[in-house]
Amino acid sequence: MNLTDRFFSFLLYFAGIVLVAGVVHFASILAMPELAPHDSYARLSALAKPGQMVLLPTALPGHEITPFEDPALAQAVCLYDLSSGPLHLHAELEDPGLLTLSFRTRSGRVFYSMTDQAALHGTIEVRIMTAPQLEAVEENEDEDEPLQELRLVAPDMKGFVLVNALAAFPSERAEAEARATSISCSSETLARE
Amino acid sequence: MSAAKWEESRVRGEVISHDVGANPPAPHLTSPRKRGEERLISRKIDMPNLFKFLIVALAGTALGLAVTYEGLQRGLAFNAVKAGPWTGAPKNGSLDIDPYARAMLARSGELPLGIAEGLSFIARTDSSGAVLRPRCDYDVSGSVPPTRYWTLTLVSPRGFLVDNPAKRFGFTSAEIVRAPDGTFDITVARQARPGNWLPLGNTQSFVLMLRLYDTLLDFGTTKLDATAMPKIVKGRCE
Repeated sequence: MNLTDRFFSFLLYFAGIVLVAGVVHFASILAMPELAPHDSYARLSALAKPGQMVLLPTALPGHEITPFEDPALAQAVCLYDLSSGPLHLHAELEDPGLLTLSFRTRSGRVFYSMTDQAALHGTIEVRIMTAPQLEAVEENEDEDEPLQELRLVAPDMKGFVLVNALAAFPSERAEAEARATSISCSSETLARE
Repeated sequence: MSAAKWEESRVRGEVISHDVGANPPAPHLTSPRKRGEERLISRKIDMPNLFKFLIVALAGTALGLAVTYEGLQRGLAFNAVKAGPWTGAPKNGSLDIDPYARAMLARSGELPLGIAEGLSFIARTDSSGAVLRPRCDYDVSGSVPPTRYWTLTLVSPRGFLVDNPAKRFGFTSAEIVRAPDGTFDITVARQARPGNWLPLGNTQSFVLMLRLYDTLLDFGTTKLDATAMPKIVKGRCE
């Protein structure tokens, strides 16, 4: 075996290693959201039960739930599990402070987000459901009546809604907390025919 | 492994590879004169094939996991919006998030703002590109893109708040003290400063976060200019 042969056999091994490394790398990146043990859902489910809006503790040094939290926010979370039925969110907005909502899958991906600016006549009315649940609801409905709610089809059965309310001044924290928890969140069971 | 066994496996390795014909010498590359020489070398480097596969598989797996670890540690950012020292990733707040960002967020547990909620920017350097050092004072001033509210927060590079006696972790756009013409000036420093003082506490390293809530900017179409974002200028160092 001369030098060229050895070079090519080395190249073959090298190519093999790079190929395996590439597959392992991409597989581990894609599997991470399913495998990470301390993802946001795991952290939040230690604090909240599905189907209720729970205020999260204020971000303070050493007491953060997740990294990169904004200490000026009051945050509330509602976990959902659509296997028993859609999730209904309802709020009557009274004060004009900043309120934002993000609708997330179990792995934390945002599938919809909005602010209080999107409220109709001061009301936020949202239903999160699966595609079959949406079909079932639409079947029983009078098509001529205008829709009074925002309907979201969730990509996953489980997930959570995160509510942010800004305390523009430290003295406004209590108001911001009240604003965040003013959104009610409840699991519904679909009426069967 | 004993010397005798090693010798045996070496010999076996050579025999197997010749039987199966795993490494037949390429005819155009080997002349009869070089045969003896070739056998000598191949005896040294040939191992049972299973062994070779195992080594390639193990080395590949180790390398792949190392690349994943390094990549997530360094925070590879695709689709990032950069403006001066500030970096933001608007797609992290939508279903278009790339797999690397997803893996990173799953590992850290961070919850990025939804795209309609706003956008957060992180600065790890000052405007000249030098890494932020806690021994120096920094002046954050200039303009912020049009937005309903913004907040500026000081955190450790891993995203945790930095404790300080003043219990001041950041500023909101509403509470900040402004000059009569509406401009602002925030001083990041260890020692107390008049005006908008953002204390450094006793941290060894820090980053700055700028969050734009309910912003009017559409990051899909607008190219963000460095002058639209606050400047971070280094002052005195200890």
